[in-house]
Amino acid sequence: MSRKPARKSGKKLAKSSTRKSSASGRSLAAKPASKPAAAKRAPAMKPKGARPAARQAPQRRPSERSGAPPRLGPAGEVTWNFKLLAHHELGGFGGMGEGMAIQIARDGRRIIWLAHESAPKNFTAVDVSDPRRPKIVVQTDLPESFMRSNSLELTGDIMAVAYQTQKVGQKPAGFELFDISTPERPRSIAFVDASGPHSRGVHQLWFCDGEYVHLAAGAPDFTPTHELDDQFYRIFEVRDPARPVEVGRWWLPGTREGDREAPPARHARPLLDRGNRAHNTNVYPQRPDRCYLGYIDAGMFIMDISDKANPKPICRWDNSPPYTGFTHTVLPLFNRNLLVVTDESTVNDAADWPKLVWILDARDERRPVPISTCPLPPVDAWKGRGGRFGAHNIHENVPLPTAWQSEDVVLGTFFNGGLRAYDITNPYQPHEIATFVPPAPAMSAVGSIQLNDVFADERGIVYTVDRFSGGLYILEMDF
Amino acid sequence: MPAVTDAPYSVLNLFPSASAGRFGRRRRRERGARIPVSVITGFLGAGKTTLVRAFLNSEQGRGTAVLVNEFGEAGIDDALLRDSAEATALLGNGCLCCNYRSDLQAALHGLVIERERGKIPYFGRVIIETSGLADPGPILTTFATDRALGGEFHIETVMAVVAAVSADSTLDRFIEARRQILLADRVVLAKTDIADADQIARAQARVRALNPRAEILTAVNGALDPRGFFEPSAPALVRTAISGAGGGFFAEEVEIEHTDNVRSFTLVEHAPLAFEPFARAMEALMALRGADLLRVKGWLNVAGCAGPVIVHFVQHLAHPPIELDRWPGTDRASRVVFIMRGIGERQVRDLLAATRALHE
Repeated sequence: MSRKPARKSGKKLAKSSTRKSSASGRSLAAKPASKPAAAKRAPAMKPKGARPAARQAPQRRPSERSGAPPRLGPAGEVTWNFKLLAHHELGGFGGMGEGMAIQIARDGRRIIWLAHESAPKNFTAVDVSDPRRPKIVVQTDLPESFMRSNSLELTGDIMAVAYQTQKVGQKPAGFELFDISTPERPRSIAFVDASGPHSRGVHQLWFCDGEYVHLAAGAPDFTPTHELDDQFYRIFEVRDPARPVEVGRWWLPGTREGDREAPPARHARPLLDRGNRAHNTNVYPQRPDRCYLGYIDAGMFIMDISDKANPKPICRWDNSPPYTGFTHTVLPLFNRNLLVVTDESTVNDAADWPKLVWILDARDERRPVPISTCPLPPVDAWKGRGGRFGAHNIHENVPLPTAWQSEDVVLGTFFNGGLRAYDITNPYQPHEIATFVPPAPAMSAVGSIQLNDVFADERGIVYTVDRFSGGLYILEMDF
Repeated sequence: MPAVTDAPYSVLNLFPSASAGRFGRRRRRERGARIPVSVITGFLGAGKTTLVRAFLNSEQGRGTAVLVNEFGEAGIDDALLRDSAEATALLGNGCLCCNYRSDLQAALHGLVIERERGKIPYFGRVIIETSGLADPGPILTTFATDRALGGEFHIETVMAVVAAVSADSTLDRFIEARRQILLADRVVLAKTDIADADQIARAQARVRALNPRAEILTAVNGALDPRGFFEPSAPALVRTAISGAGGGFFAEEVEIEHTDNVRSFTLVEHAPLAFEPFARAMEALMALRGADLLRVKGWLNVAGCAGPVIVHFVQHLAHPPIELDRWPGTDRASRVVFIMRGIGERQVRDLLAATRALHE
């Protein structure tokens, strides 16, 4: 629609922010958390740290033998065709967001970087070289309690972290680039300010090519027609990571003050009106001229970004109404002419049901056709187990050598429905082939597991995180 | 064998997959996501229930659903904790017991539905304890296709329990007892503690004569290594080839002809083979003599596949072939076990050769 170059002072902002916050103790740059702080935050937690799963709960010890029985439990706990290798509560700060990325450090260590769902922590790096013995490398704090990092991605030794605030107008909000070549000491390179009188900053970002960061973000100069429509699609070039430059943006016509188009219709309030705003902004090297854009209550878009200054929608698919909105992720399976599209469940007790993982026939990218969904167990049996139940994140085939790539198996997290793997070899009949529903973690706010995100590395090791307190679960695929 | 040629081809043409094979997603193990089932047969008083009870009390037995014809016969009603559904009882150790009376299919589907609805614990294994006089053939048939139980359940092992003290007379007198041995993957000699060495040796010889492929295990004081209830990791055994120089299938062992006109033999081929002629031969066999095809199971080395292709036929039914993602060992031979009534090894080999000749 229009292009509004960012202020060229990314580096300056970052330095300014860092300098300013150093003086006030509000550094955005990584600051290893002190142990006393951790202890103080969660005095009732059990001993922290990595514990091989086998030691954690002998009665639930995963068997190493093929053919062994699944793990069972009184509250619907299931481990079926996954093997739990380890569980790490992340020092008592196990409320995790939807940013998970693997770095191979210069000394050969394999480190997974995890964004926290909410303050006080920013991100945590965990050495998973031995997936049975994960070890925290660094854990950092956010400067403000109203912030959340939620999303991160990395390429090489550069990591991008999103910052969102609870209310519009709060600062800092935007995204920050870190040099993580020394994982113990992430060093801020740049901070891009996306705060504004109508902005909550950045919710999600995508950064896999070392050149561009694709964001769901607000902006200082963006006045939405509705307060919930504040985050749109923005593209920053970061070839010089110290100087990010905005090169393009797109928003749903009608969501910005001054648009000729009428504001879009809203979903039913109060539960289902979540905003006509961007969520996932996936771009892959197979089609560098496409962005696969989840746009929450406006459905999904495939964007032509061959001219990044002027992104253009190629198609829109919106299942709601009659469905209940919050389109989250669009994963293209290029070789198979398929799209995997997820909703996000955002209301407890499945009050916004159904929230699904959809399979779309994308042989013609202008006309995607839904052909199936990944089946879940009966909602009546699961909605009352605490917290949310329904679709959310999937493994996104992040185009890096450290990510598992599959076009036949979908890995997804479903909050209290756990982690599930689906065989979509026949995309008309997705078939669940593996399930992991661990017991409610200690200190769970809702009394159940709430698996929030999943990432699989190229070794086939699966990492999944809990939204409130469970931290990191590391599993092996066994199907 | 329509299941072979149906869905995967057309779907993969529309939505091609670089990693899936012609038989769909390559699997790490044969059962895939299906629930493993162990079928325990054995004549009256053979000691089946004792073995099952010992298994349920083991760590590996956690989360097992046991299906019996009648609670009373199974003898585990004394372990019931409380009633759930009408015909289902929860046992200790996360296990449950279901009385299926006559309709095994309805009972198993009912258990899965109740499991998904959270009405009963999440079981991950099923043991079917048949009544003493049961012929396992019809049970195997029920699991042979996706339309019945084969989509959700996978028979990992068929186990026959034989009391060492009475094996001789039982096998002499009852065709059902012989059928149980014939169709078994494993035979467990029970009650060896009250049998003398001569009785044990005779029982072993009788079993071996009926089913030379079966693994023979011995229960010690009513208990068996729990692994005996699981699937063997690779197909049975390699025996000395008695024929088969040159190409094509050859018989791996002496054909066994039993008193009931049942013949069993194993065909082997070392070179990778084309799947179509094999499938066409099996189609012809099922069409012409399905009723006499008691059980055929094998691993095929199909040209172009990453791992063995597992085929399974019962009477006129063929289970969709499953390709594993790798070979478990260095032996890459195709190996198919036939248990047939009135059909000999030579006839089957000729049929396989004929379809191959036409195909080529």
